[in-house]
Amino acid sequence: MSSETILRLDNIVKRFGDFTAVDGVSLDIYEGEFLTIVGPSGSGKSTLIRLLVGMDELTEGSLWLRGERIDQTPANKRPTCMVFQSLALFPHMSVGQNIEFPLKIRGESAEDRRNRALELMALLRLPEHYYTKGVTQCSGGERQRIALARALAFDPEILFFDEPLSALDFRLRKALEKELKDLHERTGKTFVYITHSLEEAMVMSDRIAIMNAGQFVQIAESDDIYARPNSRFVAEFMGEVNLFGVEGTGSGELHGNGVEIHVNGRADEFGIALAPGKQGTLMVRPEFVKFLSSGETSDFVVRGVLRAEYALGSRIQYKVESADGSNLIVENLREDRYQGHVGDSVILGWDIESTHMIVE
Amino acid sequence: MKTPRILRVALYVYGVLVIVWLYIPLVSVTFASISKARYLTFPIKRYSTAWYAKAVESDTVRDIVSTSLKVAIIVTIISMIVGFFGALAFARYQWRYRRIFQKLILLPIFFPQTVLGLALLMWFNSVGIIPTWKTAVVAHLVWISPIATLIIAIRAYSFDHSLEEAARDMGASTWTVMREITLPLLMPGIVSAGLFAFLLSWGNFPLSLFTTGADSTLPEWLYAKMVSGYSPLVPTVGVISILSSFCIVLIAVVVMWGMRLTRKARS
Repeated sequence: MSSETILRLDNIVKRFGDFTAVDGVSLDIYEGEFLTIVGPSGSGKSTLIRLLVGMDELTEGSLWLRGERIDQTPANKRPTCMVFQSLALFPHMSVGQNIEFPLKIRGESAEDRRNRALELMALLRLPEHYYTKGVTQCSGGERQRIALARALAFDPEILFFDEPLSALDFRLRKALEKELKDLHERTGKTFVYITHSLEEAMVMSDRIAIMNAGQFVQIAESDDIYARPNSRFVAEFMGEVNLFGVEGTGSGELHGNGVEIHVNGRADEFGIALAPGKQGTLMVRPEFVKFLSSGETSDFVVRGVLRAEYALGSRIQYKVESADGSNLIVENLREDRYQGHVGDSVILGWDIESTHMIVE
Repeated sequence: MKTPRILRVALYVYGVLVIVWLYIPLVSVTFASISKARYLTFPIKRYSTAWYAKAVESDTVRDIVSTSLKVAIIVTIISMIVGFFGALAFARYQWRYRRIFQKLILLPIFFPQTVLGLALLMWFNSVGIIPTWKTAVVAHLVWISPIATLIIAIRAYSFDHSLEEAARDMGASTWTVMREITLPLLMPGIVSAGLFAFLLSWGNFPLSLFTTGADSTLPEWLYAKMVSGYSPLVPTVGVISILSSFCIVLIAVVVMWGMRLTRKARS
């Protein structure tokens, strides 16, 4: 991944009548990166990607590909290509014909087309005899790979994806997420992916842009977004989280509601200090919260009652109701599972290193 | 739940009876055409194919068949073309007057054909067009092209808009998208629309009666012969007409089958 900009979005706006679907979005997409735009449904991400590939026209703003303005260029004249949510495989064509379609449009010879198609099928681990198979007879995962091969045959400058994995079952989706990431590394192309699934975004992306109500809320590397969200919306959108309203009391100390704080003046040192009287939201992810035995203490402590236990496979999730009635989520590895029962009075604690302060 | 055996047998018998009931008229016409006697009596005493020979030799029969065929073929071709574009307007594209168009196009189908025929005849007269088989083509089209449009529109509704977008995204121009994606995907609908158009035109009586003028189509001629001067030539030509319809359906099936095969062979 270089830091050279391949696609520049400059204050893009899209309105449908009175409704503003995309509301002033600016972003530099870098050469060779895997960027994922994540947002809940209705956030405008699908509208945005349609603008980027040229299927809809911008209302305002401009779009620049390697310094050349392209927002007036129709989709069929742009060197970009999209993998659709429905995959849009041509049902009246074989696997080979589908993959060769962009080459046929470009007027390449039948032999060249066939060679390239077989090459791409090998890259995507599609058996060679599938060349003549009808696409309608292929399985979900195979169809996915065919759509990818076809998009790669087009050899786009940027490859866009509109939630292509959303229709697949869980296991297949997980496998294909990893394949897609590998494919990105092998081809070195710029991938722009949209999804509503945080997990999908986390597995694959170099950078994630969180979108809400037609605007980007935060754009950062995946780890950053997870550990250091810039708003409650992002914190809550990026998985389970515990949030507390806190207030600065000066000299590196904090005061919180429903949480005992023993930071001993170290708030500055760990970047969670607030000016006296200033409000903030303290965040801690469930995997950092531990059950404390009586007598043990921690930088942050909450007392409550264990209300529920859920097995999530390798991890166990607990719901704890604190003394002031709010709920906390705790996640432990199975081997560190809490030895007790639902209904027990418990003490929870976590360290200052695992917290993050959100100031809005 | 398993259907009891007795009920299944009863259903089969009932089904067979319905089919027999439907086909008895056709069978009796066939018998009438191969009887040597001038009028149909049962049991048939002597069989003969003499009337078939006469039908084939007759210049009148040849004339009316060629008129009917001309009308039906032209109606079929125009209906397929008009129906294809009409269906795109009906089902695929968003445009301002689409809802009105969708309703207006249905009107000719709901009109009683005799009234439609009469109205067209009066209109042809008032603008000074002398009715011939060509005006019949126009009349048939008024009624048949909406049907063809609907048949193709059903197909057009069921296809995914993103297929066209994807083709365009990969560099295809509007015409290439039409040729490579839209047309092949709608083809089964277009072929069935053509088939319907042909059969509806071939067998149409009420519209033809009003609008052919001095020319005569096969159903008109059959009616005229029934009213004045029945001979076994009437059922004979009737049977020939049914058989040709059947052949057309058969050809269409073979064409569709062939298309599927060549597509397989090409890939």
